[in-house]
Amino acid sequence: MFLHRLFQIALVGFAFASTTVYAESVVDKAAPLFSATAADGTTVKLADLHGKTVVLEWTNHECPFVVKHYESGNIPNLQKDAVAKGIVWLQVISSAPDKQGHVSGETAQKLNAHRGATPTNTLFDDDGKIGKLYGATNTPQFFIIDPQGVLVYKGGIDSIPSADQSDIGKAENYVSAALADLAAGRKVAKSNTKPYGCSVKYAS
Amino acid sequence: MFRLCSVPIVFVLCVLFCQQALADTSTAETGQVKAQLIASVDAVHPGDEILVGVNQRIIPHWHTYWINPGDSGLPTTIAYQLPAGATAGEIQWPTPEVITLGPVTNYGYENEVTLLSALKVPGDSVIGGVFPIKAQVKWLVCEEVCIPQKVELELVLPVVSLGVDTGKDSPLIKTARAALPVSSPWPIRLAHNEQALVLSITDTELPFVAISKARFYPAKWGQIQHSAEQPWQISGNTLALKLRAGDKPLALGENLTGVLTVTENSSGKRVTRGFSVNIAGSALAASGVTLPSEQPDLVLASALLLAFLGGVILNLMPCVFPILSIKALSLIKHAHQSPVQTRLQGLAYTLGILASFTLLGGVLIALRAGGVQIGWGFQFQSPLFVLAVAYLIFAVGLSLSGVFTIGGSVAGIGSSLAGRSGYSGSFFTGVLATIVATPCTAPFMGAALGFALTQPPVVLLAVFFCLGLGLALPYLLLSFWPFLQRSLPKPGAWMDKLKQGLAFPMYGAAVWLVWVLAQQAGINAVAVALGGMVVIAFAAWLYEFSKYTGKTAQRSGSGAAGLALALALIGGYFGVATAVPAAICLNSESATNYEPYSAARLSELRSAGKPVFINLTAAWCISCLVNEKVALSQRSVIDTFKSVGITYLKGDWTNRDAEITKILAEFGRSGVPLYVFYPAGAENSTHPVVLPQLLTPEIVTQAVRGKV
Repeated sequence: MFLHRLFQIALVGFAFASTTVYAESVVDKAAPLFSATAADGTTVKLADLHGKTVVLEWTNHECPFVVKHYESGNIPNLQKDAVAKGIVWLQVISSAPDKQGHVSGETAQKLNAHRGATPTNTLFDDDGKIGKLYGATNTPQFFIIDPQGVLVYKGGIDSIPSADQSDIGKAENYVSAALADLAAGRKVAKSNTKPYGCSVKYAS
Repeated sequence: MFRLCSVPIVFVLCVLFCQQALADTSTAETGQVKAQLIASVDAVHPGDEILVGVNQRIIPHWHTYWINPGDSGLPTTIAYQLPAGATAGEIQWPTPEVITLGPVTNYGYENEVTLLSALKVPGDSVIGGVFPIKAQVKWLVCEEVCIPQKVELELVLPVVSLGVDTGKDSPLIKTARAALPVSSPWPIRLAHNEQALVLSITDTELPFVAISKARFYPAKWGQIQHSAEQPWQISGNTLALKLRAGDKPLALGENLTGVLTVTENSSGKRVTRGFSVNIAGSALAASGVTLPSEQPDLVLASALLLAFLGGVILNLMPCVFPILSIKALSLIKHAHQSPVQTRLQGLAYTLGILASFTLLGGVLIALRAGGVQIGWGFQFQSPLFVLAVAYLIFAVGLSLSGVFTIGGSVAGIGSSLAGRSGYSGSFFTGVLATIVATPCTAPFMGAALGFALTQPPVVLLAVFFCLGLGLALPYLLLSFWPFLQRSLPKPGAWMDKLKQGLAFPMYGAAVWLVWVLAQQAGINAVAVALGGMVVIAFAAWLYEFSKYTGKTAQRSGSGAAGLALALALIGGYFGVATAVPAAICLNSESATNYEPYSAARLSELRSAGKPVFINLTAAWCISCLVNEKVALSQRSVIDTFKSVGITYLKGDWTNRDAEITKILAEFGRSGVPLYVFYPAGAENSTHPVVLPQLLTPEIVTQAVRGKV
């Protein structure tokens, strides 16, 4: 019996060990909570945003795929529409210091002004913890969290992986489709899609 | 100009000239990649099928991508613009490499790659004319940062009449063809569920291939998790590779496509071969909810901790405990020793254990490299080993009983093999403890060893090392901590009595081993073993008796004893080695409410949706026998099985059995016991339940009823 109990304890330890190693965002499950410093100097906590739809957009302004969707106005338009509807749109920068895309809060704000981008805020994840928590591998890459805090979408921006702006018109935009489904109270039809782009520039 | 080329002799010169002239358009260079459009021929006949390709030379540390770029990136695309009627096939992707950047895993190519496509020349091409091939090539090239690039390449080939030689494959094309994955010479099988996929190949030659790595590259996003480890193992003739399902797990009936690579060490060089995979799989039995499928992913730290705990628990096993006790007694006896000496004794004992475990680990690695099916307790599958351990334990028992003493002193505790004084005595006690501990697969060790057996040698040895450390711990603590020593009882005559008493568990263990032997090698082997024991007892008596006589008699006594011992061993060897293995006769020891396990029978029952209970056991596994006695053969369990309509399958792993090794591996185990319950219902809709390794009737009945 003693052995059995010990065995059980060990198994619990086990399960814990494996979940911490493979912790990840899973569609239809509660989105992992985090808090992060934002470009405007405030601290943003996901838990505080309960009751609102939240879009997390992993970005790196120097990545050609990000450039594709900003220069074309694709992402700025999505941001404008979303924010107008009361959706919280957060850019997340997981580039480690001295890696591509790492910027100061001030630069991030300037870049957005320059690009006509109007996200609710820009979050810094210098140590990559939030990126790894969500399993973000690409820029651009999106995670949408519903007002109940459930992850309802993870994936890419659209259906044509390329760096060509001319493909945007031909592609199916997964992010706008997911937000439309959510607004209509439907289940997100394509809730887990293939992201494409540059790798997130983690420190390691 | 090309009209001249229709004259064959001039043609050769012309081709050289033309190639030269066109070199500019067939290559293009960016800062990172030099691209060249190449063809398998120097000229074409109307209706030919040729190979064309784009060769990329990439500057160091940068890479371009495979058809599935992995977690990020973009595959290279080639858009061919060809004369009317000509067609180009899909890119034939060479076997890729893994390129990792922190947690991001990519598949692609470094240094150089050629992307081939088959190209069909239309039959109505005009002889004497030209066949221009244009390619618009787009790629993403990344180091840490990524740059999308685009080039236009053009190659013009003359169209010549059928009799004219069109030239041989260029070296680039040859190299490119060699890099393509080929169809597997072995059938590849796939089993999967929502969490995991297991790819396996089976071949009788497989064990002779020194495989150092296996990896699967999925052609589509989402089928597997790119960054997850891909543990693999070879058991018998089968190599199995475990994959973690990705964001879009394979549906049943859907094909898994990609490349399976196997790296072998062939005469000192590592050669990787890629085999194309395009197969539908069957349902994988182990569900992610049950623990065993998690166990191969067991992180190293947990495995080491579990191995350590398992080692500590081994001290309580019936054959190990007496030996430990003897050591403790010797500590009491040698209370006069300086603390330093005591500690050195403890260290020597630990060293003995660690050396033995390292040796065992080494043997396992060697056997695994040789492709032998192994699991923990593997040594007990050899009747000769069982016999040898039976003899050893019997001899230790005799020594404890005082029939003989090794070493000169009659008095004192140094009167058994385990009690030999000096540091070498302590060392060999450690060795002895290891040998007798191995059959006892404590619950913890199953997981840790299952993990270890799938790991590289260094990890395997680390797990064994921790196991040994655990086994050595109690005595080591005792020898290092004077406080503990003081709390031991005072020495006295009771020690001799206790020592003699402890002989009986040893005799018991010897009896058990002889019984195991009977299962493995039949009744004649038992006679040989028992005869051998009589001879050993005689040799022991002779040895002890002659010790108190004159020098000559002593020598001849020892000689006779040695001779008798040799006789026992040699006789045992031939007696057992030639004995006909008995048919599995576990049947006789409990109610026969079960059938023998076979994979075929299991799948038959499962496809019929019948509930099945599987018990995988071995005669040399004590916990297996205990579980059968206290739980599985209890009335309540038998009745429950009957009322639920369960078919009870029992697999006997006493001797090696490939089928049982396989199902153990499916559940991430390397040894018995294993208890699995498959609830009633369609094969795909139910998940098997793995029961704990220590059973009670309640555990069994609840598991069985809870799911039905």
